[in-house]
Amino acid sequence: MKLGRLDVEVSGQRVVLAGRIDDSVALGELAAQLPAGALVLDTAAVTFVNSIGMREWIRLTRTLAARGAPVTLERVADVMMTQMNLIPELRKTVQIASFHAQYACPSCGAEATPLIDAVAHRAELRSLLPPLVPCGECGSLMALADFPERYLMIFSD
Amino acid sequence: MQPSTAPCGRLVVAHPDRKAQRSLQRLVGATLCPVEVVSDVDALIAAMADDETAIAIVDASLAQARPDLQLRKARAWIAVPGEGLASADASAIDTLLVAGWRHVVAHPMPVLAEELLATVQKLLRGDVFGLEKYMAWGAEVRSYTLEDCRDRDDAVATVARDVVAVGLPDRVGSLVSVIADELIANALYVAPVDGAGVRFRSADAREKPRALTGRDVVTLRWATDARYLAIEVRDRWGSLDPTSVGARLATSAKQSSSEGGMGLPLAYACCNQLVVGSDPDAMTEMIALLDVRYKPTELGRTASFHSFTLRTRTA
Repeated sequence: MKLGRLDVEVSGQRVVLAGRIDDSVALGELAAQLPAGALVLDTAAVTFVNSIGMREWIRLTRTLAARGAPVTLERVADVMMTQMNLIPELRKTVQIASFHAQYACPSCGAEATPLIDAVAHRAELRSLLPPLVPCGECGSLMALADFPERYLMIFSD
Repeated sequence: MQPSTAPCGRLVVAHPDRKAQRSLQRLVGATLCPVEVVSDVDALIAAMADDETAIAIVDASLAQARPDLQLRKARAWIAVPGEGLASADASAIDTLLVAGWRHVVAHPMPVLAEELLATVQKLLRGDVFGLEKYMAWGAEVRSYTLEDCRDRDDAVATVARDVVAVGLPDRVGSLVSVIADELIANALYVAPVDGAGVRFRSADAREKPRALTGRDVVTLRWATDARYLAIEVRDRWGSLDPTSVGARLATSAKQSSSEGGMGLPLAYACCNQLVVGSDPDAMTEMIALLDVRYKPTELGRTASFHSFTLRTRTA
């Protein structure tokens, strides 16, 4: 289905979102159209989120959380991570299984958004320690290109 | 032989550390205004002497201990990082913004030098508008005037594409998209007010067409000099209260949800310096600056904030 400029694909308990979450998307109304039970939301292909879009995202996750079944986010887009960290409420309503994070290579200057397994690195992330990631261009270890206290806040207790 | 004229004013630097005092004195001394240096709050209060033409440059930790300082008469109170090589503490910045400080510098040298000098000169000269003040000479400024509300998406996409095209990373392009979108949305839907102060466009459907003429004109400009990327959005309403916006930025992030009013805080969170310029009832200018030289972790975790109001004779 299409909501504004966002493509929504539902396959069993998995929901894949692609495109823009902005003024055109009444995402809060999507919950009623999703199956009951545990859900996985995949946002890897979300390219843009503004403040109104984030408000809609909160409405969606809040409604889903109120149903009592777990909501897991997989492959969270980097553009969403920046904004989700601004919203303390999201620390309680969703579980992040994996996410794309901003990394930069101190050796060659390359920037990338590798996929981080938040389950495997759960303990580190809770301590706001970014996992080590090799640079795709030169092989050196990359560093998180943001403050862990800001970018990983959603994982803190 | 007569020297050329220099901006007139008086500057007072307050810092407990002698080395930092020297650095700050040199920085603001570039204005050629007399600079008085003091070490503590009592001496600062005495030196300022409720002089409405004086500008105080205050160590953030001193300011945090006495956030009420900024209520005293002065041309401006500017908080700067505690040490030249360290960023200001994020909690100190929040405290100062909540207390109503209109100028809080977050970043260490050399950003501190560039930002502080531009801020002091804008205040001294009463020349508060324009992104050019943050750019090196030679940086080309690109400008867009929106003709209709629905041009917002095109304008945002164009700027983001242009930014990446000049060699800046996708990460910066992504931040630019969010910042430009929020600042333009603010200019289109929040800035317009009627005689009773009602923001009569705030509930407008975003897909609704509206020609932007007269006071509805919104302009977007951007430039980069490989140090900063600046995004500037102007409306012709001048309805933003420059004295309260800082507190809004500091408190919104602590709210448990974002049911409304998150646009400016989001833009602030995405940039390294947010500058508000206001000509009341005539124009509001928002400039978001991204430092593209350094890794984000080499700068302050919280962005700097400055709020200027155009005054008739002094700023």
